[in-house]
Amino acid sequence: MEQKDTIPVICSNLAKAAEKQQNPGMAAEYSALAEKYDDGKPSAEDLAGLKTLITEDLTVYPDLQKAAESAGDRGAQRALRWGQKVTAIQKSLIDRFLSKGDALLDGKGLFVCEACGFIFLGDSAPDICPVCKAPVSRFSKV
Amino acid sequence: MYASRNLAKCTKDCLCLFVCPTGATDTETGQIDSSKCLDGCRLCVDACPSHAIFLVMDNYPEPEPKNSEVADKMLNFCAAKYGQEKSAEAIADSSASEAEKKLAAALKQSLRIVAEDCAREAGYMLPQCEKAQEFKAELGG
Repeated sequence: MEQKDTIPVICSNLAKAAEKQQNPGMAAEYSALAEKYDDGKPSAEDLAGLKTLITEDLTVYPDLQKAAESAGDRGAQRALRWGQKVTAIQKSLIDRFLSKGDALLDGKGLFVCEACGFIFLGDSAPDICPVCKAPVSRFSKV
Repeated sequence: MYASRNLAKCTKDCLCLFVCPTGATDTETGQIDSSKCLDGCRLCVDACPSHAIFLVMDNYPEPEPKNSEVADKMLNFCAAKYGQEKSAEAIADSSASEAEKKLAAALKQSLRIVAEDCAREAGYMLPQCEKAQEFKAELGG
């Protein structure tokens, strides 16, 4: 059995894959499992604590990238490159919020790329995701 | 393999209706009736001027095996991202500031997507693959 705190994520990912395969029955099954096991505990107490964890992750990416490279795993290398960029954006948004406060979001929307997790702060979602090149239709407004 | 329509690309030129031998492409919802669609026929796929129709597979090949060391690392990273997602969720639930709630909600969504990508590259990309099947059996699903 995989470690418990990966089960909901594996299941929600497989549910999305089943949806793309136009298999609603299988998607519903995995969505139900994702919800059933979604009982993980927070690893940080507040935004500053979350920023610390995210900053630590940024130092881990280069080592993981090396491991993926030496194993010749192109898929993992791709995921790590996108993940590193998205994680840097997450950190920068938290940084800016901690220094500017609520005013950071004044009159602006937050848009998340559903393909890679990139977060955009602005008036409207970009035409193309700068991290993964997904089109604007893959962005959802928070 | 049966045909499916990407409704965002469909321009309603209806060439799929001209070529379909069973009427599977002519539906009110715009989606193709898979119960009438002929396995692997693909006439509508080739006729569509907007490239809006594609074939959905019934069977998928077993993916190339993953290096187990990299897979383990990706899965550990997935778990770390999930803990962060749960932190963002708790902040979104408890914060008194609307702006902080909104930022935390965006982070929660973003962290889950990054975590899912780690899970995918840990070997859980395809629901039909052996690893995913074993995983599901162990969950009793």
